[in-house]
Amino acid sequence: MKHVKPITRKAKLVEKAAEEGKLDEAVPMQTLTGCATTFDPGWETDPFGGVANLCQPMEADLYGCSDPCWWPAQVPDTINTYPDWNAGAPSAGRDWRKLHAVDKK
Amino acid sequence: MMTRLALLGVMAVAALLGAAGAADAKEYLLTSVKPNTLVLADPAARKVVRTYKIAGDGAPLGIVPSPDGKIAYVVTNHWGSLVGIDLDSGKEVFHADFSEDGLRVKNTFGLEISKDGSEIFVLESPVKLLPNEYEVQDARIAVYRTDAGLKAKPVRFLPVPRRTTYLLLSTDGGKLYAINWDITVIDPKDGKVLETKTLIHWDRKGYAEPDVFGVWSQFEQAQVYVSPYFVSRTDIDPKDPAANKTGLVTLDLATGALRLADFENTSVVIFTSVVNPVRRDEVYSVYSTLTKTDLKTDSIVKRVDLPHTYYAVNVSGDGKEVYTGGTMDDIGIYSTETLERIGEIKIPGGADQAISWLRVIHR
Repeated sequence: MKHVKPITRKAKLVEKAAEEGKLDEAVPMQTLTGCATTFDPGWETDPFGGVANLCQPMEADLYGCSDPCWWPAQVPDTINTYPDWNAGAPSAGRDWRKLHAVDKK
Repeated sequence: MMTRLALLGVMAVAALLGAAGAADAKEYLLTSVKPNTLVLADPAARKVVRTYKIAGDGAPLGIVPSPDGKIAYVVTNHWGSLVGIDLDSGKEVFHADFSEDGLRVKNTFGLEISKDGSEIFVLESPVKLLPNEYEVQDARIAVYRTDAGLKAKPVRFLPVPRRTTYLLLSTDGGKLYAINWDITVIDPKDGKVLETKTLIHWDRKGYAEPDVFGVWSQFEQAQVYVSPYFVSRTDIDPKDPAANKTGLVTLDLATGALRLADFENTSVVIFTSVVNPVRRDEVYSVYSTLTKTDLKTDSIVKRVDLPHTYYAVNVSGDGKEVYTGGTMDDIGIYSTETLERIGEIKIPGGADQAISWLRVIHR
């Protein structure tokens, strides 16, 4: 914290709590399942740096990634944040035109 | 002595009746499709027998049948609820919502039922929703009585390590295996840790930690948990084709025997595997290929391309057919001898199975 100065009220409270040893320990989520905890490639490249081992076709994998919140940067998370993203489009291969990009309001 | 002989006689008759009952029972497949639909299929007829609309929005996830094959317990409502569906009447006979005021609770894969069908074990990840932050709580196993009806509440909670995905009972029901970075063996009655079997902490000179992945529970036929693992060698050039190895970890749910063994230089992605219940050295694994592996020699017997990626795999009780499921709207049926595609089941409506489990039930 030597090179960082708190400028907001909350940041000052966080620094004070850290100094007093009252800051909660950061706890990881339970599994390595999605919600930004997964760092393996998958949408852009496969583990070999190519594309042959990506899911085939990509529509086969689309809901397998949205439903467990696997790559939330690429595919909206339907567990918590965008539960209705693919409602009305039960087949990714057939209904992909009904899917839209999301924008957190 | 007479009493003991009489008892043995009764046990023998009971065993014969049990065997006859099992032989009479027919195998069916259970899967699910979006939105909130449970699917019962007849693999012999190559068709879907019945579909059930279940409570909750979203894609169902885990499916666990009751031991008598009459009720299917299914995770629904964006992983927030568990429902029990009577497969004959189609009615909901069990319902549990995991969350409560201020505490959002999701089931993250692990789901298992006791051998007598009286209790169901649900792996839960609770998060406290505070005004200005989310506070992650300890992972836990919620235990429900299956006769608790439509407003079921847990009868007890068991502690479980973080990163657990699978919950599997030993065949005698006395041990609950929680598959995480390692395998934690838990007493299902009180949560006491009986033993820890190492996976990621496998001490192997010249190798990094193996990476075990898996969320599909499909081990009912052989009663053997099997999962692919991937591991890097640290003692050779990383560009060497042998620098990354694929192997299989097997845990025999009857004996508790654990085995890890490489079978190839990593060349394809594999998601899930299943052991043949008859030829028990044969393992079938899926993703975009179907691979048959021999556990006696730890080598590939055959590998074929699949028409599209499948996440889940299961096998018939006679060991003759392997079923590929998940992702899209079909279940592929393959010969375990030749890996030839010998049939398929198209799910009416064409909806995706996505990450649904694929289970075999007897009824």
